[in-house]
Amino acid sequence: MRKDYAAGDRLPAINKDIDQKRINGWAALSGDFNRLHVDPDYARETSFGGTIAHGPLSLAFLNELMMACFGQAWARGGRLREVRFLAPIRPGDHININGTVEAASQEGPRRTLQCRLGINKQGEGKAAVTGLAELTLTGEES
Amino acid sequence: MSVPKPELVFADLPQGRRFTPLRYEVTPKLVDDYMAVVGDRNPLYWDQAQAGAGGSLLAPPGLAAIYARSSYLQDNAMPSGGVLAGQEFDFLKPVAVGEVLTVQAEVMESYLDPKGRKRVNFLIAARDGQGDQVCLVRLYAIWPK
Repeated sequence: MRKDYAAGDRLPAINKDIDQKRINGWAALSGDFNRLHVDPDYARETSFGGTIAHGPLSLAFLNELMMACFGQAWARGGRLREVRFLAPIRPGDHININGTVEAASQEGPRRTLQCRLGINKQGEGKAAVTGLAELTLTGEES
Repeated sequence: MSVPKPELVFADLPQGRRFTPLRYEVTPKLVDDYMAVVGDRNPLYWDQAQAGAGGSLLAPPGLAAIYARSSYLQDNAMPSGGVLAGQEFDFLKPVAVGEVLTVQAEVMESYLDPKGRKRVNFLIAARDGQGDQVCLVRLYAIWPK
């Protein structure tokens, strides 16, 4: 795990493809079978015009990014704030899960980071989901 | 034939209402299913060489929040048309595969916003077998009816 992240550094991004199978899988995992997510015929008649991924699935992707970068430090004291669901993520979307260190401060052995996170749909400039992650590295993480 | 659960409507969600705790085990299968659906193959979750001192693998932190919504829908159905406006996490303590977690939801705020939308904000706490908080979830919803 890299321990020297500084303000302005980009976190290694993750790319994923979204399909209905993955959305159905999240429904089965979480117990959220809202028809907007799992019933294409129903969802087509809503204002969304089709099924959309669950919001918490997007947050699982943000957690994946933070765990990949910071491991136990994220599990032990990570905080995800200011989450905004700005655009629906749909089957067929190719998404990029990304982050940038916005602020870093050092106090003795403790290093505190704030990272601005985003999920962008390929081909679209604006983020579909944003959030702010905060965590502290103590120097003891594996 | 099973009887459909009654819908959980805005009037059922006054500030301060606490729901029955939901208890579940973070089984290896649950972790495998999570990794498969999310596509998160972090070796901390599956590589025994990275297990902790007790030999236990780390569970994905998000699994402590996986039943946040289910915790207030144990006896009710969600009316269609709701919107998840936001969600926040505090991960307080790592969870090992095999631990049993207890999740309990409380209505922190319940109000009509200036546009007349029904807002319900939950605080959902997950605790481990020692009673320690492992995760706090703040869930901000716009309720449909």
